[in-house]
Amino acid sequence: MTCTDDILARVGEISPLPGTVVRLVGVINDPSSTPQDIVEVVKYDQAVTGQMLRMCNSAYFGLSHEVSSLTEAVRYLGTMKVLQLLMAVHGNALLAKEQTGYGLEPGILWRHSVAVALTASILGQRISPDEVGLAFTAGLLHDIGKVVLNEYVGREFAEIARLVRERKTSFVEAERQVLGFSHDEIGEKVAEKWKLPDSLVRCVRHHHDPSMLEPADPLVDTVYLADCICLLLGIGLGADELNYRADPAVMGRHNLHEADLELTGASMMCELKRVEEMFADASPASSRKQPAER
Amino acid sequence: MDLVVDIADCQVSNDPQVELVTYSLGSCIGVAIWDPETRVGGMIHYMLPESSLSQEKAKANPAMFADSGIPVLFRSAYELGATKKRVVVKVAGGSSLLDDNGTFNIGKRNYASLRKIFWKNGVLIDSEHVGGQLSRTLRMNLGTGRTTIKVRGKEIEL
Repeated sequence: MTCTDDILARVGEISPLPGTVVRLVGVINDPSSTPQDIVEVVKYDQAVTGQMLRMCNSAYFGLSHEVSSLTEAVRYLGTMKVLQLLMAVHGNALLAKEQTGYGLEPGILWRHSVAVALTASILGQRISPDEVGLAFTAGLLHDIGKVVLNEYVGREFAEIARLVRERKTSFVEAERQVLGFSHDEIGEKVAEKWKLPDSLVRCVRHHHDPSMLEPADPLVDTVYLADCICLLLGIGLGADELNYRADPAVMGRHNLHEADLELTGASMMCELKRVEEMFADASPASSRKQPAER
Repeated sequence: MDLVVDIADCQVSNDPQVELVTYSLGSCIGVAIWDPETRVGGMIHYMLPESSLSQEKAKANPAMFADSGIPVLFRSAYELGATKKRVVVKVAGGSSLLDDNGTFNIGKRNYASLRKIFWKNGVLIDSEHVGGQLSRTLRMNLGTGRTTIKVRGKEIEL
């Protein structure tokens, strides 16, 4: 078995995305859906229902009465918060483990993914306003290929790092040259296996090379920029460091300036703190992670 | 004992047992200052060059920006007994993506903003490690003033 066959076999072994997540993404993808549709999806997911009620009754919301029904909880939280919570509960299991090949301590890929998701939903309001829920989901899942490729990157890291260092090859190009696949390509295969909507598959595949798409896709541009902002701000930097190519066309396509990105980054940091506090508040088991020394 | 300086955070201390540390500097910049006589030290990890971007955010958290945060770092260290003429200043960060066109200049702008503030105030940088595509961890021991950065798993004296 060659390395590339072996990697492909690994894609087949990744845990399936929970049905609730797939269905909720479907509901959010559909502009005609109502809050009741969300209730219908979430009510079969006990972990998430419990979390939602706990969150509504937490100090963060400061409500004067206890929220006990799911319908009421969905109304208070709103679609975005429900999605955030659902993805947090399920995405955490997928993304929170340490990824030693990428030099990521436990919790760091997860923090990066949440930060990109929040940044994508902030930017999405401007770039792809009809797809803010999808922008969040795409941001959260964009690096899913790293979970599969991690072990192989670890094994061949010296050679990948040499290409990056000596030839200024970007990390994804080096992955491709050494392993036969890059994490965005493997992520695409995982997203397809999960039967995610095409728009999400495209985001995962092109989050490092959005201008490869013809015509350009605003949702992909959103996730690309969100990832750049979070990498630049050092949220979830691993052994791949900042070795990714800047794409000069994206900003022009959406008439964005450096100040727009900076402001987005600043807003995201405030939001990230709030979201981490909110999750910590809603779930006594979850802990805020401090990056350990690399 | 590690005292962690978060992103958009500033910490000072006069406890010689303390090691100030900030992780994962990308385009952000970490500034560490230390007074060898009083052994007072401080560190900031700021994100962005100028508070004019959002006065509201700068007010809520001055350490987010170079121009609002760096004065807070120095002032807080002076309050604990450091003096300007004695402080040693070390700087790390300011990285960028592989970016021939200068599409995302946050790292360079962060560094330029720092130079401007230091020049205006007559502060000299004793040593620095900036630029490139690196992720850096900056660490300063307040007992000895020893300052290091960690890049690609290697510790380098700063």
